[in-house]
Amino acid sequence: MNRASITKLLNVFGSTTFRLVLAYTLIFSLSVGGLFYFVFWTTAQFAEQQIEAAITADVTGFQDAFARAGVPGLVMAINRRVEPDLRGDGVYVLVDSVGNPVAGNMRRWPQQVVPDDVWVTFTVTDPSRVTDKVGDVRALQFVVPGGFRLLVGRDIRDARRFRAQLIHSLDIGLAITAALGLIGGFIFSRTIMRRIESITRTCRRIMSGDLSQRVPVARTTDEFGRLALSINAMLDQIERLMRSMQQVSDNVAHDLRTPLTRLRSRLESALRHMDDPANREAVEGAVADADSLLATFAALLRIARAEAGSQRNFVDLDLVAITEDVADLYGPLAEEKGLTFASDIKPGLRARGDRNLVAQALANLVDNAIKYTETGSVTIAANERDGRAMLVVADTGPGIADAYKDKVLERLVRLEQSRTSPGSGLGLSLVAAVAKSHGLDLVLKDNNPGLRVELAFPRIEATVKATPPPMVPPAEKDAAPRQVAAE
Amino acid sequence: MSILETPMNGFGETGAGSTPHALIQPAEIKDTDLPMRVLVIEDDRDAADYLIKGLRESGYSVDHAADGREGLSLALSESYDAMIVDRMLPGPDGLSIVEMVRKASIPTPVLFLSALGDVEDRVSGLKAGGDDYLVKPFAFSELLARLEALLRRASPSQENTFLKVGDLEMDLLARKVTRQGKRVYLHPREFRLLEYLMRHAGQVVTRTMLLENVWEYHFDPQTNVIDVHISRLRQKIDKPFETAILQTVRGAGYKLEPGA
Repeated sequence: MNRASITKLLNVFGSTTFRLVLAYTLIFSLSVGGLFYFVFWTTAQFAEQQIEAAITADVTGFQDAFARAGVPGLVMAINRRVEPDLRGDGVYVLVDSVGNPVAGNMRRWPQQVVPDDVWVTFTVTDPSRVTDKVGDVRALQFVVPGGFRLLVGRDIRDARRFRAQLIHSLDIGLAITAALGLIGGFIFSRTIMRRIESITRTCRRIMSGDLSQRVPVARTTDEFGRLALSINAMLDQIERLMRSMQQVSDNVAHDLRTPLTRLRSRLESALRHMDDPANREAVEGAVADADSLLATFAALLRIARAEAGSQRNFVDLDLVAITEDVADLYGPLAEEKGLTFASDIKPGLRARGDRNLVAQALANLVDNAIKYTETGSVTIAANERDGRAMLVVADTGPGIADAYKDKVLERLVRLEQSRTSPGSGLGLSLVAAVAKSHGLDLVLKDNNPGLRVELAFPRIEATVKATPPPMVPPAEKDAAPRQVAAE
Repeated sequence: MSILETPMNGFGETGAGSTPHALIQPAEIKDTDLPMRVLVIEDDRDAADYLIKGLRESGYSVDHAADGREGLSLALSESYDAMIVDRMLPGPDGLSIVEMVRKASIPTPVLFLSALGDVEDRVSGLKAGGDDYLVKPFAFSELLARLEALLRRASPSQENTFLKVGDLEMDLLARKVTRQGKRVYLHPREFRLLEYLMRHAGQVVTRTMLLENVWEYHFDPQTNVIDVHISRLRQKIDKPFETAILQTVRGAGYKLEPGA
């Protein structure tokens, strides 16, 4: 069995259905065991009662004989029993006051039988002259007037054997019940798991952004068919809601941005005819406020688009060019602030995605790193780990405490320490939205000191890797302009 | 230039030397005898009024069409220097109008206005024959700057690989920049930034225009990174000389103007 099928088997054992089946099998086996025990107990009890009833009947007969004719009558009665009973299972012995056997099919009084007990069970070790039986005997003893002692018993070896046979049969029955339960459970849970698995697969595809996926419906009459229909109906509803949400947010953004833009323009034109410096300052402040409101709206809309972004529009990306461009755009900003800016780019790195969104996510990370780092360095890197393309931005700023690492990815969340610096609090949210729509792993780590943000692309399929799309010649980028600096 | 080409490059100004222009003299376009004629096709009353008022104040002669049918007939029958077309219109929509105008071999530059800002929306607008794409809402100064850039581009030009603005000269073949005959050394990106500014000398160039055409980004960075690049460029082309030619236009952007 190969690894995959072992894993598959382990999956079956780990499934909820299988655990349920196991519990059910256990309860069922216990009930069957209880039933078996009851049957066994009554049967064994009945056999024992039979034996004791037979013994009691013998004793009654002997009492009558003794009453009629004294000890000789008793001896005759015993002998009568023993003669036809040569092959029977009756055990009789009558001894006198000194212990010599007078009648019966045992040579002597069994040593194990002490006078105190009435009902006794003992084992015959020396065969009597009439039977060669060696085995367990159940017997009743009592004292006959004149110092005689009488023992009336039955060989219970057959009963014991019957009992053992019964236990054995019940054990086998129980084992078969449990085995059938387990095998049935295994098949049962695998069948159910397969159907649940198809639902899970659809859900995963939907989570990765393809909201048009629907759960396959095999039969509409059974529970799974109904579940699939319900899920599909729910998905239809979600899709409708999302579309109308998108519509609403677009409308809101448009409706609010338009008057805001007009407001800004009116302020600007008022500014042109304004000479009083105090008024100018106030109006310029108002323009700046309008700008920051507009920027927030724009960022919210971009995040909504990035989140709804479908992988259909993805193209083959040259991560080297993207990283170089962002480094080129932000390098001077970092240097202006007195920070060391370094880039570490692995040649030929590619991935799939939307160029504008990936570039903006990276730009936002670098922007944040520069904004929050007072001294030290900002590093941007594009490399590969475990066959996955990685974009990394690291700084030596204050970093983010572990408790806040998830929180900063939420919309409009800004940590207390950054309240005073400019920005909308949407920079990292956009990065998170891009990561989500691109299937990237976004990890915030400690850079000791500082923050290190890693964006890991999904592993590129082998087929894609084997035939990389042709590189667009980096003509203007590399060839000519470099010479300007070189001269 | 990034090696990730987008159809944006159809605009022409993005690449170093991709569409050589005339030696640009800072001649005032609006100072000719007749005002520039602009057709505005916009169905939203408020937006149209605001546009028309702003354009007239800036010295343009404006015709307005409130739906696609009227807009198309005006565009085909009259002669304009530029058209500003909303994408979503009653009657034929903006895309169809521009497609039909181009089929009629009318080369008038077109600026699309749209609430749709995705890259695909831009691409479809440019494929239909638009020359620039502005996402609503926009600052009026942004629209004005882009309109001027379009009009300048449409004005007759001759192939050139040499740009001159005042005493600042750029040789695109030798990739050499001089001011007052003194050599100025620029990084590749600074060279492209200056080239773009020189090609639009005398016009206001917004930060978004620079970001779109020099860096090919269609998003707003959180910080005004462009300012840093401009200030570096100033260190090289203005600081060592008595007069500054790279001006900041408050609330709008930058302007390269000799003798300012």
